[in-house]
Amino acid sequence: MARIELKNVEKAFGKVEVIKPLNLEIEDGEFVVFVGPSGCGKSTLLRLIAGLEDTTAGTIEIDGRDSTSMPPGKRGLAMVFQSYALYPHMTVRKNIAFPMRMAKIPRAEQKQRIESAAQVLNLTDYLDRRPGQLSGGQRQRVAIGRAIVREPSAFLFDEPLSNLDAALRVGMRMEITELHKRLETTMVYVTHDQVEAMTMADKIVVLHDGVIEQVGSPLELYNRPVNLFVAGFIGSPKMNIIDGGQAPGIDAYKIGIRPEHINISTESGLWEATVGVAEHLGSDTFFHARVDGMSDPITVRTDGSMQVNRGSTIYLSPDEQKIHRFDAQGIRID
Amino acid sequence: MTSKPQPRATAELERGYRNMLLPAVFAVGIFAIVPLAGMLALSFSDYHLIRGTNWDFGFKNFVRLVSDKRLMGSVYAMSVLSFFGVLTQVLIGAAIAVGLSKIVGKWRLGRVLFLLPYAVPHVAVALIWLSLFTPTLSPINAFFDLFGITVPSFLTTQNGALFAIVMADTWTNFPFAMLIILAALQGISPDLDEAAALDGATRVQSFFYVTLPLLIPAFLMVTLFRFIDSLKHFPMIFVMTKGGPGRSTQATNYYAYIQTFQNSNVAYGAAIAVTLFIVAAIISFYVARLNQRITS
Amino acid sequence: MKRLLTTLLSASLFAGVAATTTVHAQDEINVVMFGMPYTKGLQAIAGDFEKETGIKANIDVIGQDVFENRITLSFTGNTGDIDVVHTPVIQVQRWVAADWLKPITAEVDAMAVKSDIMAGPLDAYKINGEQWAVPYMAATGLMTYRKDILEAAGVEVPQTWEEMLAVAAKVHSDETAAIAMRAVPGQGFNMFIFPMVMRAYGGKFFEDYTAGDLTPAINSPETLEALNVYMKLLNEYGPQGAGNFNFAEVQAAAQNGQITFAVEGTGIAASLVDPDKSKFADKTGITLPPGGPAGRSPAIAVHGLGIPASAKNPELSAKFIEWAVSAETMTKIALAQPFSNFTTQSVAQNEEVIAKYSKVHPDFLAVQAEALNLAVGHYRPLLPEWPALGQAIGENINGALNGLMSPEEALEAAEQEMRDILGL
Repeated sequence: MARIELKNVEKAFGKVEVIKPLNLEIEDGEFVVFVGPSGCGKSTLLRLIAGLEDTTAGTIEIDGRDSTSMPPGKRGLAMVFQSYALYPHMTVRKNIAFPMRMAKIPRAEQKQRIESAAQVLNLTDYLDRRPGQLSGGQRQRVAIGRAIVREPSAFLFDEPLSNLDAALRVGMRMEITELHKRLETTMVYVTHDQVEAMTMADKIVVLHDGVIEQVGSPLELYNRPVNLFVAGFIGSPKMNIIDGGQAPGIDAYKIGIRPEHINISTESGLWEATVGVAEHLGSDTFFHARVDGMSDPITVRTDGSMQVNRGSTIYLSPDEQKIHRFDAQGIRID
Repeated sequence: MTSKPQPRATAELERGYRNMLLPAVFAVGIFAIVPLAGMLALSFSDYHLIRGTNWDFGFKNFVRLVSDKRLMGSVYAMSVLSFFGVLTQVLIGAAIAVGLSKIVGKWRLGRVLFLLPYAVPHVAVALIWLSLFTPTLSPINAFFDLFGITVPSFLTTQNGALFAIVMADTWTNFPFAMLIILAALQGISPDLDEAAALDGATRVQSFFYVTLPLLIPAFLMVTLFRFIDSLKHFPMIFVMTKGGPGRSTQATNYYAYIQTFQNSNVAYGAAIAVTLFIVAAIISFYVARLNQRITS
Repeated sequence: MKRLLTTLLSASLFAGVAATTTVHAQDEINVVMFGMPYTKGLQAIAGDFEKETGIKANIDVIGQDVFENRITLSFTGNTGDIDVVHTPVIQVQRWVAADWLKPITAEVDAMAVKSDIMAGPLDAYKINGEQWAVPYMAATGLMTYRKDILEAAGVEVPQTWEEMLAVAAKVHSDETAAIAMRAVPGQGFNMFIFPMVMRAYGGKFFEDYTAGDLTPAINSPETLEALNVYMKLLNEYGPQGAGNFNFAEVQAAAQNGQITFAVEGTGIAASLVDPDKSKFADKTGITLPPGGPAGRSPAIAVHGLGIPASAKNPELSAKFIEWAVSAETMTKIALAQPFSNFTTQSVAQNEEVIAKYSKVHPDFLAVQAEALNLAVGHYRPLLPEWPALGQAIGENINGALNGLMSPEEALEAAEQEMRDILGL
């Protein structure tokens, strides 16, 4: 069980500052997701915690112990790589046993842990195969199995699902979430997919250009994004960002309104809009509408039964309670 | 209408690829099969450059091989040269490859530097090492002379001369091993080392448990290539020792040369060459099969 | 038919090179030789031949080992791509036995230069009454010595190998070894030098070579004595590592002042007394190699030019040879290269040639002439099997020298192997 604390941690590769000095606390048993666009530094941050990269400045404490210059193997953490990083020349059994072999855990104990992990992960029939003979999902499970058996104080996941197809990804997402519920071990999970972040996290850390933009629960981020970046990044489809001038009476430089918080009428409303592309998902329909004077089309979500024709005129009114206001610096105004 | 019409585009593509192979097939036919067949025919003949031939075909050259003490001596010299030569080349090549990729990964000049010996023609390499092992010419001897130490003469004893040839052979051929193993190392995902580090392995453990096993196919291949090539020992011996002292560095290939060109006994020379070829082919076959078993 | 088939058979051994027969233009010939001062000089003035005759001569000068393979390929494959070939006298018997050369008695008789060529070397190419090649040079064994060292030791230049042993003991030191000679095994390496010692003590290869009794007789008390002297000289009074010396190492050791005596061929010996090539040249004297109870027998190596049996245009080839051994051509090369051992005699009367080589060393031309006079044509037996015999004997001599076997064992083995090679 581990509580991880980053204090003024900083990382530069040469002159490029990948992580600007930051502080972060990860509570024991928490499922924390680092999310952000590619290049935001989220993987680097994870690798700093893992000990695969050295910090340029600052300290990393794991369970109150300064681990900044501790080698990776001594930190008691387990990591699941995007590439799975399975040892191709070892059978599944040997892959899973490897960290226990390194820790000199007795054979019998190893055997028992492998078997129980295999059972949990549905790998019992594959223990004597090599990674090359497994499907992507099975390899992912082996990687997780290898992480579980050493009973780490925290799990680190580096975009573990990005090599899987969409259906498998949803399944594995749930499996990992369930695993977390059962083990109650700290998990730090890196992804660029905000849906994964929203569905899995207890706490989301939004990173952008090496800086933490916001830390909070999924709903906090959804309901109260602290700035335009978080507002635009969290939520699907993206929040509409509109110049403040388009909303009379609301005093803001920019306003944000989520597609699901816009009311549609064929008769009257705040904005008159021309319907563009519509995306019918069955349960929902998203359509894009152009409003005179706005540079970007507005995305609107309605239920699946709404029929709108391309080119027809509709009226859109934002739900005033759900409008997010931002100042000229992009900071939320409350 | 057949249920499965031949897709025209693929057929054409295939034909194209097949045509591309033709020159290679032709070249192999001319430069490998024809001479090989000729050599095989000669090895059963009694053809002698001076005495001509009585069209007496048979196994007598091969019968003679079995009781030829000089052949046995040459096999010993060849085995020592090949075994120690290939072993040191692979070990040194591997050590430098690992050093270059893991320790000084970005030192590109190093790679070029270590490749240089491979680009030097064998005769030139042999001349360099001949002078290094000739006490009157060698800077090594001159250096130790300053301290009153006499470096022994290598080329006048069997083991010393074999050692000298192994040195020259290693110097020029370790870059080949280095190159292949470097390529293999670069084919191993760095994630594996990191995973091993997180799994609690030290650097040394990580190398022996993860990296090294993954290099085995490359090791096998490099050993096989170098081994086959080492059976063809010639320029080093010709330049450095002329087979001496006595006959003690006459490797089998060199002995075949002497039988063919000095003794004019083309048929017997061919029989030695054919036997050498068969042995090399059998060993190659088994190594290739072993490699297949390991990689699958 | 039989000949054609064997030819095809052996040609296939050599990677289809036989398939690439060169097409000759009417006025073009190919000459293949290995590197020596004369051959390099000839190559440099090939243009003169074309100017004189309108025939283009492509002169290829290659390494000696490559040469062996190249001509074996060409001749067994009957490719006809060589019109004139470098023919060492030591190989000519073997080549004639293998039907590689064309007899050129009539062609040589018709050459104006014939009477100007030294009779000994010319006759060395006469086999079964036919002439097979024309000599251009005759290298002999010579000895160089450091005058200053001998003077300091108060000893004279040894005239016999026996004296050499005594002198060597006196002049040998850690800095300057007494003597170096070729030692690596091979008919052109240690077997160019060792027979000088062997013959001086009365040793011989065969019972009676001149009378045609080719019973191997190398295992004799005389040869054993010679071998012991040779071994003692190199092992006790030679530089370290002498057992693997070839001519290049001997030359370097003398040029570096590491030895007092060098017994070598004309080319190397000349370079050691030439102030342009050795900084010890002014302290170096040149003389005949030592003799012994059975006289003095300097080594001799004759080189010439022959016409392959497969040559397409023998008339052009003969024309080229006549030009190549003419006094005029020889003089040019003698002046341009370190080439003093020409066999076209009138060149020696050329003032410039005399001036050039007297400047190298005043005694040089006289010593060379004397050595040539003393040398016997069959210094190394002129037999088709000689390359094989020389190789086998040389390997055993080198084995004894380096302590792999006793001298007695070496000579016994050598004689047995000679029998095997000759099929006795």
